[in-house]
Amino acid sequence: MTTHSSLMCLTALCCLWPVAHARADQRPAASIGEIARVVDEQLDRALAKEGVQPAPPADEANLLRRLSLDLIGRIPTTPELQSWLAERSPEKRAQWIDRLTASPEFLAHQVNELDALLMYGTKGSLQEYLTVALREGRHWDRIFTDLMLAREDGSGLKGADQFLKVRIKDTDRLTNDVSMLFFGVNISCTQCHDHPLVDEWKQDHFYGLKSFFVRSFDNGGFLAEREYGVVSYKTPKGEDRAATLMFVSGTKPREPAAAEPSNDEKKAEMARFKEWAKQKVAPPAPKFSRRALLAELALRPGENRFFARSIVNRLWYRLMGYGLVMPLDQLRSENTASHPELLDWLSRDLIANGYDLTRTIRGLVLSKAYARSSQWTNGERPKAELFAVAQVRPLSPLQLAASLHVATTDPEFLATTEDPAEASRRVTSIVNQSRSLAPLFDMPQGDFQVGTTEPLLFSNGERIASELLSAGSGRLVGRLKQLSSSSEQLDTAYAAVLSRRPETSESELLAKYLDQRRPRPVEGLQQVVWALLSSAEFRFNY
Amino acid sequence: MTTPASDERHERHETRLGRRGFLAGTAATAAALAADMTGLNVLKEQALAAELKRQEKRVILFWLAGGASQFETFDPKPGRPTGGPFRAIPTAVPGIHISELMPKMAQRIGHTAIVRSLNTRIADHGGGAELMQLGRRDEPSIRFPDLGAVVARELGRIDSEVPDYVSFYSSTEGRGSATRQAGFLGSRYAPMFLTAGTSPEYLQPLKTMSAVDHRERADLQAALGRQFARGRELPAVSSHSQAYARVRGLMASERLFDIEQESQAMRDRYGPTLFGQQTLTARRLIDAGVPFVKVGRAWWDSHGENFETHLELVSELDHVMSTLIDDLKSRGLLEQTLIVTLSEFGRTPQINQSLGRDHFASAWSATLTGCGVQGGSVYGKTDENGQTVVDGQIGAAPLFATIYQALGIDYEKEYQVGARPIPLTDPGTEPIDTILA
Repeated sequence: MTTHSSLMCLTALCCLWPVAHARADQRPAASIGEIARVVDEQLDRALAKEGVQPAPPADEANLLRRLSLDLIGRIPTTPELQSWLAERSPEKRAQWIDRLTASPEFLAHQVNELDALLMYGTKGSLQEYLTVALREGRHWDRIFTDLMLAREDGSGLKGADQFLKVRIKDTDRLTNDVSMLFFGVNISCTQCHDHPLVDEWKQDHFYGLKSFFVRSFDNGGFLAEREYGVVSYKTPKGEDRAATLMFVSGTKPREPAAAEPSNDEKKAEMARFKEWAKQKVAPPAPKFSRRALLAELALRPGENRFFARSIVNRLWYRLMGYGLVMPLDQLRSENTASHPELLDWLSRDLIANGYDLTRTIRGLVLSKAYARSSQWTNGERPKAELFAVAQVRPLSPLQLAASLHVATTDPEFLATTEDPAEASRRVTSIVNQSRSLAPLFDMPQGDFQVGTTEPLLFSNGERIASELLSAGSGRLVGRLKQLSSSSEQLDTAYAAVLSRRPETSESELLAKYLDQRRPRPVEGLQQVVWALLSSAEFRFNY
Repeated sequence: MTTPASDERHERHETRLGRRGFLAGTAATAAALAADMTGLNVLKEQALAAELKRQEKRVILFWLAGGASQFETFDPKPGRPTGGPFRAIPTAVPGIHISELMPKMAQRIGHTAIVRSLNTRIADHGGGAELMQLGRRDEPSIRFPDLGAVVARELGRIDSEVPDYVSFYSSTEGRGSATRQAGFLGSRYAPMFLTAGTSPEYLQPLKTMSAVDHRERADLQAALGRQFARGRELPAVSSHSQAYARVRGLMASERLFDIEQESQAMRDRYGPTLFGQQTLTARRLIDAGVPFVKVGRAWWDSHGENFETHLELVSELDHVMSTLIDDLKSRGLLEQTLIVTLSEFGRTPQINQSLGRDHFASAWSATLTGCGVQGGSVYGKTDENGQTVVDGQIGAAPLFATIYQALGIDYEKEYQVGARPIPLTDPGTEPIDTILA
């Protein structure tokens, strides 16, 4: 596609999607199994080179917990755990991955994860848009395009404008957010000067990218875009410069010439925008939109490696606990990936698959590397970038809230239906109820550590006691108090909360604890369940 | 609980505030050391820490969020086109003039050093807040601790169960950039962050639970956690048990936050505003041994109506800061307590069409009062219109080195972070000697 012809079809961009995919599809898509195979081949090669023997596979129960948290955003229920442990098929993992990724809970969790990625720290939310977009099967390239076009005239999906809308008043930040979130490069320091450490990032990059957004503005609560306007900036030497459109790759796309209108024309234009604002309608899209050009340019063959590598690296980080490139916003040539060929392969595969993130996710969680134990007892833990041992990852606030509520629901209530649709409805309703708990927890960022607020909340918070430790019917403690032996109670509590059987040493310790509280058994059970819920084991995806 | 750190002065505080009641022995020492991610030479550090602790130094930081105007506070330019409507008034120290909005501070300027020559370059809220709370910007591969975390680490008791870094920030505006970080020091040094009122949430146990059950339940959780931690010796995992280990100590510090323990007369002195009451709480905290308290006051971001905003906020700051100085002085605490006023940046000389001043990082002011500071001194100078620094231009780093020096913290010390030594301030940074006592 030449620059010129691509400009011609910008307004019809949406209709072109299937065609665009077919063209980009230079290579047949790999199967899910092939993705997993390539991942393991590449990681094993590096491990062999370093002479590191990777950790053994995580045990079965541990693996289901990990898969459930990663794919459906919560721990498994007791019935799910039992049925997983009972299955003996060699294809078990692949079948469960298919089942989990086909469930509505998978979509909901993807929405949460993408919303957190794109909107955390802003006042907006993409929940509404992403829910419909993912249900319709829109892939990552289409989502990016929707967010950049931000159509509000009814032709796009509702809520897609949120990404730009909450950022439009600060174009500098918008520019850097787009650059970091979609292209994996943080260019914020090139705002004032050429990057001090990175030769390839110049001031031109920042203002070149900013130029795609400079014509956009908030018009009475609606996004508007003019057909003219340039960014001017000062170099550190004090020179004034007008920026040229430039993508993060350095490519300078051509665009129709846009003369600055006369003052009278500007006045007339201003009156039109005022009128639209007054009538509370979205201004029409311009004939030529720089934002639309960015959406198209970033996905062009040759230019799309930033877009593809960035999301592959983020998915890898999400599932493996450490990126192929770290930090996640430093995807530049000097900062090499730990496994450059693998990152390239996965990126090309993603492009070939039309940016279907679900396929990549399924491939990664099918790998041996994903399923390794997180425990390392042979001396010094190997470097994270070898992926020799699984990382221990903090749960997101929503994962934690959902898991707390699932864990403390009476397992019998979840087991009493054979109908998978009904079981799914029950769990979904529990998860929905848990959402209001999530804002009480910290969003993990970078090197997560537990601060003092969370332990105080767990220790003394009214909601923890009343929502999670209630002995009423339908609740875990309510069920436990009806069981006759402490071993039955502990097996049930462990399956519900920690998704495993208790070790002998744990059973002994806890049986003694319960025994000492025999005159007030409910309190004893509440304390035991609290100790499990507030444990590090529960707090992390390990 | 006697440790080498409890000298006579220390004992005096303990008796008055009953500190013995909530400081347990050295049980937490091992956990606190393990919490430290920096792999320090423990013995050397302990000796140094003990020495510093004998000096019992403390910090109260007034974080003027949004960017306070230097013109309406400590660097007035009366009669100039950039000066605005307020006059400058003489102070107790001949030759030093400050804004007429600060008559009480004018009388007490003999305790304060004014720095008028900050050129910190960064004029967006996020970047400015980061720079002025860390003393530098984060690097892609490393997150630095903020001033409070460094002070907590250097001046806090390693076995302390009282919080060693408390941060008040009640406004929603600017809260995102007010929340800073412990960085590579680890969450052990992250602040107890209060977003409402003067007392933290969840410090009191639920009425339905006895103290014995509360403790035994926590012990049970800790015992079970050891199994999981085996083979998973990672900072994130160990931060979990360390954070839970501090719960009881933090709960015992509850009454430090209770200003009902102060007389009505004392509360009246600080005034009825939340800022005043939080500052009184800050004084209670540092008196009890908390080394760093940050009191955030928002929102100084006066792009419109700069003068009305500053009339209100500067007058309040003048009153509260003066009361704090008097109170600390009468308690004999001023020589060991450093009061800092700091923002993410100052405000423009130009007065815009909405009678506002915008973000301005090229020539603005901060102050240091009390501990280790040469009171009644001024460092640096701006031009007659406050457009540029004409003398003593400094960035954030020398200001931070000065603060560390005033507190007796070696500003050149290095932390070992992984394989990389990280100096507390960038090499070559020098403190401003002339404003140090």
